[in-house]
Amino acid sequence: MECVVQGIIETQHVEALEVLLQGLSGVPKERVRVHELCLKSGPNLGVVPSEVRLLCDLAQPTPSWTIRHVGGAMRGAGAEQISVLVRTIVESKASKNVLQYFYTLGYKLDHELLKIGFAFRFHRGAQITVTVTSANKMPRLHATDEAVPVTPGIQLVEITAPAAADNYNDVVSAVTAFCEYLAPLLHLSKPGHSTGIVATAGAAAASLMSSGGGKTL
Amino acid sequence: MPPVKWLMHWHPSPGATLNTQILAEACGCAESLGGAKDGRWKTSIIFYRAMTRDGGAAGPAGQQGQQHGDLPRELLGVALHERPGLYFSIVRLAKLVLQADATFPQVMEKLQSYKARVALNFEGFQYQLGDFCLRIGKCVPNNSEVLRGIMMEVEYYPLSSIEKSRAIMEDFFDVWQETVAKKSLPGHFIHVESNFSEYGLSDQYSFQHTAVQYATCLQQLMAVVRG
Repeated sequence: MECVVQGIIETQHVEALEVLLQGLSGVPKERVRVHELCLKSGPNLGVVPSEVRLLCDLAQPTPSWTIRHVGGAMRGAGAEQISVLVRTIVESKASKNVLQYFYTLGYKLDHELLKIGFAFRFHRGAQITVTVTSANKMPRLHATDEAVPVTPGIQLVEITAPAAADNYNDVVSAVTAFCEYLAPLLHLSKPGHSTGIVATAGAAAASLMSSGGGKTL
Repeated sequence: MPPVKWLMHWHPSPGATLNTQILAEACGCAESLGGAKDGRWKTSIIFYRAMTRDGGAAGPAGQQGQQHGDLPRELLGVALHERPGLYFSIVRLAKLVLQADATFPQVMEKLQSYKARVALNFEGFQYQLGDFCLRIGKCVPNNSEVLRGIMMEVEYYPLSSIEKSRAIMEDFFDVWQETVAKKSLPGHFIHVESNFSEYGLSDQYSFQHTAVQYATCLQQLMAVVRG
């Protein structure tokens, strides 16, 4: 399981967000360059239609592949009341022939994206990962070198934290608490419930940049 | 890089049946060669069958419902004893071997496109013999003691190159065959070489090579049962 919230930020304020995250986390940022391929089961394959994501980490000297299955969100009255989405996630590293493997199994490429940006991984009540990326589309199949932004000027911010059935309440609290620190710059909510950019972002960013980084936080 | 390994299976003489006595005798041979027993091992193979929405069977050999010739009918999942954190999936028809984590079966379970049906365990004792490691075991279905086959792994620690180790592996196999022959058992061990290059695997031995060898060995054992 994982807890997740998402938000968007204008590219012009990303540097301020980075300063803020650096100050809050105290860890160096990691470069993110991930080629994400979303595959769907072909007609008639499987008891139900299914979807699997293959992530190729291009930030490493040798690209590495991960298979990711994103399950359904937790439902019920309790889940409605919290501002964080709790969902099942299963991941497995895989050898580089994984795309060919899923094609052979009868899966088809639905779409692909190149996500470029940075991430901070740190512990703050839970193991939190904040990624800030721009989504890029490829004009030709797999042509990651020619990728262009899907939403120029806007970047996606995602906060995730691993959770288990017996501790997700604590993780939700930790993620919610962390989101409040970012509130002047962006608003984070459950995926699919985007609330747009934040009006105070410009002023907050200016304040952050003029304060000389995260030192004063 | 893991050391090179050969898998061999027991081929019973015509009319002879498999029994655990052969396994005990093979273990006796390992000990008579000076092998020191140092533990147990278990490798598992799981058969996955394609699931289709109309209840048909995938692949050319589908027996019921509508057929879907473009889908592989069957996948093999291999969990090797020496690398419990890894999992291998083999599509024999397409000559594909995927290396993944031990969480891979959970991914397959979520996808519900291929369903785990039957599991076979290869299990037995391990012997250290100088630079060699011998693992002699039986093949039995999960939750059953019905003997489906007898097989062994021979590992040669100093080398990872299949070609460079060929001569020494062949020499060892000859010695092994002579030792087993002295027992006058109704059958003999056979090494069926897997075609690694078909799977895109190089001369440098890897765990994927072992997974492919298990698939080959399984095919041979099934052929013996059917024959």
